[in-house]
Amino acid sequence: MHTVEDLIALANQHLGTALAPHDAGAELTELEDWDSVHLLRLVALLESELGRPVPVAEVLQARSLRDIWAVAVAT
Amino acid sequence: MVDPGALPPRRSRTPASARVTAPAPTPMSTPVPAQAPAPAAPAPAPVPGPASAPAPVTVRDLHARGELAREYPAVRGALARAGGRELDFAGRVLAQLDPGAVLAAHPGTPRVRIAVTGRATVGEVVPPLTAQAARHGLLVLPYVGGGGGYVGELGNPASALYAHEPEVTLCVLDPLTVWHAVEEPWQPLDVTVAAERQRKLLGELAAAHAAYAPRGATLVLNTVPLLRRFTHQLTGLAQRAELGGLWREFNADLLYMSDPGAGLAVLDLEPLIASGVRADDPRLGAYADAHCTTALLTAYASEAAHLVRALRGAAKKCLVLDLDGTLWDGVLAEEGPEGLSASGTLRGAAFGAFQRTVKQLASQGVLLAVCSKNDPEPVARALAEHPEFPLGADDFLTVVADWGSKAQGVRTIAARLGIAPESVVFADDTPFERETVHAGVPGAAVVPLDAEPALHIEHLLADGWFDTPTLTDEDRMRPSRYTQREERARFQAGATDHQAFLHSLDLRAEIAPARDHEAARLAQLSLRTNRFNLTGTRLTPARVRALAEGTDSLALTVRTADRFGDDGVIGAVFARIDAQGLHLENLVLSCRVLGRGIEEATLSGLLYAAQAAGLPAVHGTWRRTRANAALAALYPDHGFRPTPGPPGAGAGPPASAGPPGATSGPPGAEEAHFRHDLERIPPVPAHVRLRLRLTEAEVETCTPSRT
Repeated sequence: MHTVEDLIALANQHLGTALAPHDAGAELTELEDWDSVHLLRLVALLESELGRPVPVAEVLQARSLRDIWAVAVAT
Repeated sequence: MVDPGALPPRRSRTPASARVTAPAPTPMSTPVPAQAPAPAAPAPAPVPGPASAPAPVTVRDLHARGELAREYPAVRGALARAGGRELDFAGRVLAQLDPGAVLAAHPGTPRVRIAVTGRATVGEVVPPLTAQAARHGLLVLPYVGGGGGYVGELGNPASALYAHEPEVTLCVLDPLTVWHAVEEPWQPLDVTVAAERQRKLLGELAAAHAAYAPRGATLVLNTVPLLRRFTHQLTGLAQRAELGGLWREFNADLLYMSDPGAGLAVLDLEPLIASGVRADDPRLGAYADAHCTTALLTAYASEAAHLVRALRGAAKKCLVLDLDGTLWDGVLAEEGPEGLSASGTLRGAAFGAFQRTVKQLASQGVLLAVCSKNDPEPVARALAEHPEFPLGADDFLTVVADWGSKAQGVRTIAARLGIAPESVVFADDTPFERETVHAGVPGAAVVPLDAEPALHIEHLLADGWFDTPTLTDEDRMRPSRYTQREERARFQAGATDHQAFLHSLDLRAEIAPARDHEAARLAQLSLRTNRFNLTGTRLTPARVRALAEGTDSLALTVRTADRFGDDGVIGAVFARIDAQGLHLENLVLSCRVLGRGIEEATLSGLLYAAQAAGLPAVHGTWRRTRANAALAALYPDHGFRPTPGPPGAGAGPPASAGPPGATSGPPGAEEAHFRHDLERIPPVPAHVRLRLRLTEAEVETCTPSRT
């Protein structure tokens, strides 16, 4: 996983969302296709994909997909 | 810790349109169409095998095309083949689907109203629950609460949970249950006190649920996993062991409260955790108040869906087994009977263990049959010549051994046993054969066995296909009843004159008030009987007891026996009595006894009994279900005349209300009302000796047979 687009593809693949690359910076609460339950599932998906733990508290506090990618992948 | 409220809000717990447009609970009808024809019926039509079937659609395809709601009936078949990852995905997208949109496209979709609550965040259970229910053909109408409010939701009759009118309420007890009330420093005694308080609270909430939820609804609790991060806070090994002991007592007390027939079920999570499912994620617990892992909630949802299916009486009846690679090691056609093993070798012993599990299921009423691609003679020899195998020829009610399609074989077996093909579970280690049955017998369950016999048992038991709320004596006797039925069918085949055959049966029927221990059996008959069920009204054991004990209501058992053996309780009469006469709320007879005059004898006997009791009339209702169309003429055929509505219509409850507390037909279901004035009563068939009592207090009345 190299870019936030990869993260978006991961979500679409496993959560059934229809997120587009331009949704990366949007507030999660504003996304038509997003649900808070998705966030808990995404933590497990990310860890499975990356093969290492992610900082859960920071992921849960992220406000956008780009934030999630930044704290979970880029760090 | 992050306030869970700071998380992006879940947009809509139940889509508003679902809350508005979803009709009242449906009848608890099993999604099973008409029963199979009786054994004498002609052979079923050929069914297509996988070669001629189109490629199976997946939920992913339907979601991508935006057709999940429009093509919802295809979802069940798609999920029947789905593995863990596809089921996970399906749960995510199906949980987002508006149930109202599905019902608008497919108004007849079987549905279940489920409320989810818990001590902590529990919304994550909804996706796997939705997928699991869809696998069993049920659309979930969910209400999601929890987040700390379960006491208020269950204890307050005006809560949103009860406004949802749930048939099933899942109260998820996470691994921090009890511990939230234990303060440091603590010792085992402090945990005992907190656990006992929790148990009492749950008992009170169960009583509240029984009072405030719709009658017949079930509250589901679970045992609470004990986490190492608590046990190991005790450094004294003796105290740690004491904690383990008292915790098991707490869970045992919960399990002893379980009585699914009476509205409280307790799921035991220990076997799930023993199978390798991690219970909690401390990080999600700490930061999101989500104390159960997705894996645990997924396993929980699977068990909960099995429970819902069992509560609806949708348990499967018959296990159809392949032979080579399924029941024994070896290939009969190549190695002969002597080349087979189910003991003695490493792999053979694994097959033997599987056979013992099958035998254990059969001891609880599961009907066994064989469907094998082999010649019949070697199969008969192989089953007879291996006394060391746990299963022998006598354990199977019927054997289909030929080279035809296994879908055809399954249908033939169902027809021979007089059961619906959908009530079959088919287990085979060959993917082609499984796909043939998937495609050719929609609704039948298919168990994917593989080349590792040591895993056959887990595969067979994975979906709880045969689970039932309470095992009854009738369940245990079922295989022998079907053996009698087979003997009777053979005897009939040899008789040239049907009337002479009926007379030779020495048929006895007894209709009498239900005793307390028979309530579970009568409830089961109301749940599982589709073809001879005049209204489709489903009853819980508690409701049957209430009818039996009521001053103006009746719950009668129908028992039959003949020269081939005792059939046991094969039918039920639910009725009430008032100044206008005897009102037959429902008649249910097992399809096992149809065609022997029992239905005529029952109706005639009830008419005689009403006349003897000085009642002015007998009233009856037929309400159309998926499977009972043939009964529309039952009342007219017995001298009843149609009436525009039920007696007292306009002043009383609506026509489709059914007995109070029962799950009745959907509004607008086709129904017809009838009345018999007791002037010309049809005779009880001469070949039936009938004894009938309406009440315990009444002196036993013997209704004479007339020709």
